Amino acid sequence: MEKFEPVISETIDHIIASSGLLKPEIALAIAFLLSIISSLFFEKKFKNSTFLIAVLGFISAFILLIPQFNDPQEGFFGMIRRDDFSIYGRMLILFASLVTGFFIQQHFKHKAIKRKIADVYSILLAASFGLSLLTITTNWLLVFISIETVSIASYVLVGYLSENKKQSEAAVKYVLFGSACAAMMLYGLSLLYGFTGNLDFTSAMHIQGLISAPKILCSVAILFLFAGIGFKLSFAPFHVWSPDVYEGAPTPITAFLSTVPKIAVMILFSRLCASWFETFFYFSELTFLLLVVIAIVTMVVGNFIALRQENMKRLMAYSSIGHTGFLLMAVLAFVQGNTDVLLFYMAVYVLMNLSAFLYIDYLESKIGDANIQSFMGLGKKLPFTFVGFSLIGISLIGLPPTAGFIGKFLIFSNVFELYSESSEFAYLLLLIVGAITTVVSLFYYLKIPLYAFLKENKSDSVIKETFTFQNCLAFLFCIAVVILGIFPSLLLSLLK
Amino acid sequence: MGILSILLLLPLFACLLILAIPSSYRNSYKYIALGFAFLQFLVSGYLYWQFDGSQTGINSVSGYQFVEQLPWLRLDLGSLGQLEIDYFIGIDGISMPLILLSTIVMLMAIGASWNISKSLKGYFALMMLLSTAIIGIFVALDFFLFYIFYEVMLLPLYFLIGIWGGARREYAAIKFFIYTLFGSVFMLLVMVGLYFSVINPDTGAHTFNMLHMMNPANYVDGSFFATAANSFDVFGIPARMVGFIILFIAFAIKIPIVPLHTWLPDAHVEAPTPVSIILAGILLKIGGYGIIRICYSVFPDAAVQANWWIGLIGVVSIIYGALNALAQKDLKRMIAYSSVSHMGFVTLGIASMTVEGISGAMFQMVSHGFLSAALFFMVGVIYDRVHDRYIYNFRGLATLMPKFTAYLAIAFFASLGLPGFSAFIGEAFVIIGTFNAELVGTGISRWMALAGSIGILLSAVYFLWTLQRMFFGQTRLKGGEEWAVALTDLSKREQLILFPTIALSLLLGIMPSLVFDQMNAAVVNLVALVSTHL
Repeated sequence: MEKFEPVISETIDHIIASSGLLKPEIALAIAFLLSIISSLFFEKKFKNSTFLIAVLGFISAFILLIPQFNDPQEGFFGMIRRDDFSIYGRMLILFASLVTGFFIQQHFKHKAIKRKIADVYSILLAASFGLSLLTITTNWLLVFISIETVSIASYVLVGYLSENKKQSEAAVKYVLFGSACAAMMLYGLSLLYGFTGNLDFTSAMHIQGLISAPKILCSVAILFLFAGIGFKLSFAPFHVWSPDVYEGAPTPITAFLSTVPKIAVMILFSRLCASWFETFFYFSELTFLLLVVIAIVTMVVGNFIALRQENMKRLMAYSSIGHTGFLLMAVLAFVQGNTDVLLFYMAVYVLMNLSAFLYIDYLESKIGDANIQSFMGLGKKLPFTFVGFSLIGISLIGLPPTAGFIGKFLIFSNVFELYSESSEFAYLLLLIVGAITTVVSLFYYLKIPLYAFLKENKSDSVIKETFTFQNCLAFLFCIAVVILGIFPSLLLSLLK
Repeated sequence: MGILSILLLLPLFACLLILAIPSSYRNSYKYIALGFAFLQFLVSGYLYWQFDGSQTGINSVSGYQFVEQLPWLRLDLGSLGQLEIDYFIGIDGISMPLILLSTIVMLMAIGASWNISKSLKGYFALMMLLSTAIIGIFVALDFFLFYIFYEVMLLPLYFLIGIWGGARREYAAIKFFIYTLFGSVFMLLVMVGLYFSVINPDTGAHTFNMLHMMNPANYVDGSFFATAANSFDVFGIPARMVGFIILFIAFAIKIPIVPLHTWLPDAHVEAPTPVSIILAGILLKIGGYGIIRICYSVFPDAAVQANWWIGLIGVVSIIYGALNALAQKDLKRMIAYSSVSHMGFVTLGIASMTVEGISGAMFQMVSHGFLSAALFFMVGVIYDRVHDRYIYNFRGLATLMPKFTAYLAIAFFASLGLPGFSAFIGEAFVIIGTFNAELVGTGISRWMALAGSIGILLSAVYFLWTLQRMFFGQTRLKGGEEWAVALTDLSKREQLILFPTIALSLLLGIMPSLVFDQMNAAVVNLVALVSTHL
């Protein structure tokens, strides 16, 4: 017993010392607990109490992040790693979650829902807690735990508010797929742990273990691992769940699911690439090859299937699959210390995607569904909305003068630089596929102005422009996208 | 703010003004647009007057005039180095005539838009935005800036064709967009590649400055587009050749060359008359301008090797376009294909790489600019009146519309290269240049000059045959009496638009030095730049 005493006190000291690292996450956790209490006891008296707690939780976590800049630290025995990259990532996540919170509140304001909306905010807090953890760890165990936290929260978000059969079906599909992938990932992780005896993927011991591991088993483990992460990121061939789920879930939830988890997982991936690609051994080559193939297939699949979509939400689902492929390309070209390119693209992507879904939600409430066909000739009746929506579409394609173009341009530059340094054929292939899918994406994003402005609608339905939270916020984002397109240094110099 | 910036920002200001004025004053939009277009014309006319034709331009800043350079983007991108993008504009003998041409054609297009009645606000705002983008393309000396204007130009055109166009407008609009974007996305990749290969000698940072890209000394050794000892290749083709081919295709789509021309008949036919005028008068010239300004100047070594093929493409475009024009039954389609044929001379002239050839190509661009604009305008005149332009539905129009017939006949004769008109000078110089090219050893064969002459012959055939079919003989119209009443002769406004173009064509045909003097020094410099690699 005596032998352990000094160790215990040291351990406790270490834990107390490193708890400062987790301040934003602790704030989220406290907000989560408070929101449960409030939704149970106070919601009847004070209508928006849970919503307010969630908003305060996000804001306070955001504020707690600010003093942590320029102070990279490790804590909890290397389980938690904080650097500026993760802080920016978390800021993006918190910002997007906050917007989602407002979005949910506005979306359900005029709807008669049998269930309590208040609980949704608690789950949103939990999801962003998990995502936040994912950005600050390099430990597989913590990665698994945070991915599961996010997944379970997402299942609930999709299923909890299901109003009809289709939405319930989407939720069930999501849970089944998700659990299977989680199990595979866990199995992969256990294999990795068996090879290396260490769960920190940046550690020398882990990499050493991988180098000496038998090739076939190592491949199996890595494949299993990617299956789990791939599910969350919805890259091909693990993307099949996402269109159904995106279409079935309430629009604010879809906006959240299609945007925010990507940021966290991309940050994880870029850390993984940065530490694994350095070696010349089998597993590095395998991971590189896998990621290249996945990026290419994902870009192609996402963009080509999006061509055939009639429903705007499904279209956005495939578009986000395509963008995942593009982000993966960015991650592949991720060079340590060059985080701003990736962060810029993600920030712009968040703005574009959120505002696209805000517009979809607004239009859904105006015309009853999200089919592109029903936008026919609405451009004249809803000019404020469709001018903005078309601009967002243009930004999603990546045409100037929008921020989408600058993001694409920076990523192309990154990849090109790597190509001319290494002459690796894979990079060239990525560039070509990236360029071709950009042209392909033009077809479906331009469907928005095509139906809204180019086609004429003979029927005289009375649809009038109203200024709601959704289209005003979306328009604000739209302006931001254009301004960042002309003066990208506004954001890029911040990200330095 | 310099005078070029004023030229560039005038239409943008007009665009914002139109957007700001409420729709209840919608009748004022066309006057605003016309006023600003006229102002722009005056500014460019002043520029032309002030322009010193003896300056060489092309690859040295000192040879450019009215230069403005402001840092626009300065970003430290870590391992990618400092990102250096400038607001860098200036003009030389290559861009000056085209800028003046653009403002004239723009003025014509606004004049032709007088009867547009559908969503006026959007229409004139987009027109003005398009005008900004066009001027921007011609003045930009920074590749990044050029690219931005090049892409921004697409959006207004997409909407102008798509909303105000004819029956198959959606198809034509997207086809036009896809063709151009396909070229320009790959152009983006080449641009990025050039960026990493070129160093600004003054600051040591990578740069998008086109003039630095033209100097082989600025290339980093071992970079992707390095001029010396470049070992990169893509699918077995040397890197610099790949860069050249990609840029050439991107611009050749605009010119357009056969077989990348198929967007053009659709876009021209479906577009409303003013947009057809802009497409034929200005847009096609952007292709030729891009090839001269970027392809040949930045990749002269690759250009020299690819020369014979480019000449061949020019010849094929001339002959194929002419044969197609011969077979058309729709007047607008006929003129669209005649554009393909006439722009083939531009390609051939550039490929000849002789001073005569390139001057001829430039002159052909200017001449074709307002002649094709006049032709499309005249098709619009008929179409406005009876909503038909099928050649066989008209006969003996000369008795109904004598003034119109006179204008059209002059425009036809001018276009087919009758001596005394501008097209003759352009085509003759191209053919002389091509013929002489063998002496200089640029790789162009003599028979290409011959093929060019056959193209001129064919153009005489299709123009005269059309004139005969539609205008001479007994009056016989498909619409009968109704059409005969509707087909009134040219109005004052229409004559006001047509007369200057015909007059200009005649003036330049008699005094080609008006244009040649301004660009000669630049063309000589360009030929010198390219021929060091022969």
